[in-house]
Amino acid sequence: MIAYETQLKIQALLDDELSPSDARRLAETLAQDPEARALLAELKGTKAALKSFEEPFTLPETREFFWSKIERSIQAQPERVVAGAPLWVAWRRFLVPVSSLAALVLLALLTLLGPGGKGPEFEAALSDPGAFTYRDYSTGATLVWLSYPAENEFAQEEPTDTIE
Amino acid sequence: MLGQWCVFGAAQKLKLEVQLVWATNDRESPEPSHKPVEPAVLKKLKDLPLKWTNYFEVNRHEFEVPASGVVNVPVSSKCSIEVKRLADTTMEVSFIGKGKPVEKRIMALPRGELLVYGGNAPNATAWLVVLKRLE
Repeated sequence: MIAYETQLKIQALLDDELSPSDARRLAETLAQDPEARALLAELKGTKAALKSFEEPFTLPETREFFWSKIERSIQAQPERVVAGAPLWVAWRRFLVPVSSLAALVLLALLTLLGPGGKGPEFEAALSDPGAFTYRDYSTGATLVWLSYPAENEFAQEEPTDTIE
Repeated sequence: MLGQWCVFGAAQKLKLEVQLVWATNDRESPEPSHKPVEPAVLKKLKDLPLKWTNYFEVNRHEFEVPASGVVNVPVSSKCSIEVKRLADTTMEVSFIGKGKPVEKRIMALPRGELLVYGGNAPNATAWLVVLKRLE
């Protein structure tokens, strides 16, 4: 029986909501617990099945025509007259986009230059439903844990007392 | 073993090494021919979320992948690694077990990085197939 908390973490893993440290701990659990791996495979399958049933939404007109309509409606609007408005209102027109841009640049810099750079992350392995991938950019290592094989890979290379 | 490799193509080559590793908590391998894995590989394995304390090299093979070529390297009697070169640094790596593809991925493997396939083995041990780029 898989612990309820582990079940939630497996779901969070699929939703890319796990922190690097939780992802690392869950990788250890998955490596040791076949039930947890089975649950991960089942949830992956469910997610893929649901995704395949999503109906694509198509615009009644082409993308270019759709955006050109928006552009024309913007151009057709009369320019607002701000004469007589307080000075801070006039400045707000420029300060809002500039401060938003500054916040985005700051966020991008923090992301790129933050401590540790890219942390460990998971990636779905497609061929083996019981498999999972753990990638750690900081050490430059990718681990692909497979459900294959059930028997010992060393069957012909080890003494028999170490083989089931 | 070399005779079983299937190599097609020529020209520029990519040199890789694949190791079969046994992961265990035993301090020594019962097989005298097994030796501890090299320190650089051991450090990276220790950084991975693996529970084992000791890693023994069972065998290792160096091989080259020609431009637009495919190389199949038997790692044990049951499994092999197939590497297909797609571009200068991009390759398609397949893990083949009992003659059937088990896992396939397209990736770049820069020098110093590892691709490790693993799975549970009896007696709470594990097998690992470690792929790294030499040149």
